[in-house]
Amino acid sequence: MREQKIALRMVMPYVLIIIAFVVLLLISNIVMSFSTTDGNFTFQNYKAIFTDNVFYKSVFNTCIWVLGSVAGQILLGLAVALLLTQIKRGQVFFRSIILILPWATLDIVAGVMWKWMYNDMYGVLNDILVKIGLAKDYIPWLATPKMAMIAVIVANIWKGFCLSGMFFIAGIQTIPRELYEAAEIDGANAYGRFWNVTIPQLKPVLMTTLMFTIIWTINYFPLIYVMTGGGPNYGTETIVTYIYRLSLRFLEYNKAAALSNILFIIVFTIAYLFTKKMAREVAA
Amino acid sequence: MMRVVSYILLTFIAIVIVFPFLWLVLTSFKTYQQIYSYPIIYLPKSWTIEHYQKIASLDFKRYFLNSVIVGVGTMLFSLVVGIFPAYAFSRYSFRFKSELLVSVLIFQMFPMVVFLVPIFKFLDWIKLLDTHIGLILAYLPFTTPITIVFLRSFFLSVPKSLEEAALIDGCNRTRAFLRVIFPVTLPGIAAVGVYAFLFTWSELLYSMSLLTSKRLQTIPTFLSVFVGQYQTRWGPLFAGSVFATLPPLIVFILLQRYFISGLVSGAVKE
Repeated sequence: MREQKIALRMVMPYVLIIIAFVVLLLISNIVMSFSTTDGNFTFQNYKAIFTDNVFYKSVFNTCIWVLGSVAGQILLGLAVALLLTQIKRGQVFFRSIILILPWATLDIVAGVMWKWMYNDMYGVLNDILVKIGLAKDYIPWLATPKMAMIAVIVANIWKGFCLSGMFFIAGIQTIPRELYEAAEIDGANAYGRFWNVTIPQLKPVLMTTLMFTIIWTINYFPLIYVMTGGGPNYGTETIVTYIYRLSLRFLEYNKAAALSNILFIIVFTIAYLFTKKMAREVAA
Repeated sequence: MMRVVSYILLTFIAIVIVFPFLWLVLTSFKTYQQIYSYPIIYLPKSWTIEHYQKIASLDFKRYFLNSVIVGVGTMLFSLVVGIFPAYAFSRYSFRFKSELLVSVLIFQMFPMVVFLVPIFKFLDWIKLLDTHIGLILAYLPFTTPITIVFLRSFFLSVPKSLEEAALIDGCNRTRAFLRVIFPVTLPGIAAVGVYAFLFTWSELLYSMSLLTSKRLQTIPTFLSVFVGQYQTRWGPLFAGSVFATLPPLIVFILLQRYFISGLVSGAVKE
């Protein structure tokens, strides 16, 4: 009982400061989303969202942005993790360059750096692509909606794959060596060991990594803001950039609050589905 | 054989990953004529530090200092608020423990942009808008949960028997914590603090929206000013970017062991 008291006293600052603050902010958003600018109750903000073409566009773009970024980050992260756990010497060196450098780069710096590389005239990317024969002509990367989306996804894979890489390295290190030895005795080659030992053993880590990357990508704002500002023609407008635009550019606070609440529901549905599935697998 | 292939592939990936950053550094040393040259000049013909001088003349020092103030403030507050809950989560069982732990995890999933307007209004209401302490307060809901998750995993890695021995020796709980747990986990605690610091170092959205006075603004805001809608001043922008990235890069490389173990603790163990 004494322990209870001590523990509760210890968590109090967190409860009083952080939880109370967050609850206050959440309530404030909910109240705003149901208010007119005069402070009367209304459903108008939600109606405005659901009849807004940009909203549907931003939801669609968010799906593409998440699908592309997450697929790229998971695959690259997994590849790098597998390679890094193969080697002994130089592990810290390669880890520092491949995983730590993009991680340490400021969001805005990553944004401007890629923006400059994508420049259609003076950008180095076009020059390299033409020189090695992958492109016939210079590509105006950020000028058309489709190419701009590909461009921001590539930049985001660069910036974000380090996190899944680190999750996978940690996951691979927990796989017992005996499993590989047993598979080798059974005559499995490297390919077979990967599919029959590594992947099944990594599944729990894979699920959590997937959940975190999906949610972080949905929430990730600075890269798109710096590189395209959501354009051209709403081609890279995601839900978060649209919330930003609604609140700080158009000053439609109440509509932004409504969209914020919709985003909350989306994010928590995803988190709930993942944790439920994971819990069921642990129980089974 | 496998190992040789791994080294070759890793070298290739490393070159691809490092190239964008290398290109940023190279461009920051080129004159404008070389930046805007067609065809592209890869290595600067004559290295120039004019962009770095330009940055220095724009009072980069002040923005740097502001970033340090906000970073250190956020670090201290997150540690003070986070350290005891983290310890309680790692050692005791109590009512609402799992609910509170879930709240810590959920807070990590909050998109920062959705709280922008409420925080703006709240800070305006308590008269802390456009102050460093206000910005620090705005960061706490995002940095404290990470701090708790990291610290909890460090505390969990200390065997319980260590404190029990101290308790038997007549220390009370607080002294046992200060004398035994604290020294052992100090590197981890420091690393967590630095992590919170670096979070604010990179953060753009809140810093540019909540600090409107020029003399209070931080590095990301300073850099964002060079990104125009029609024209971007690449030279100074890149010189500033190099300056801004070096401190976190060095710290990340030195402390990577702690950052990684803290970060993956939630995903791999348990």
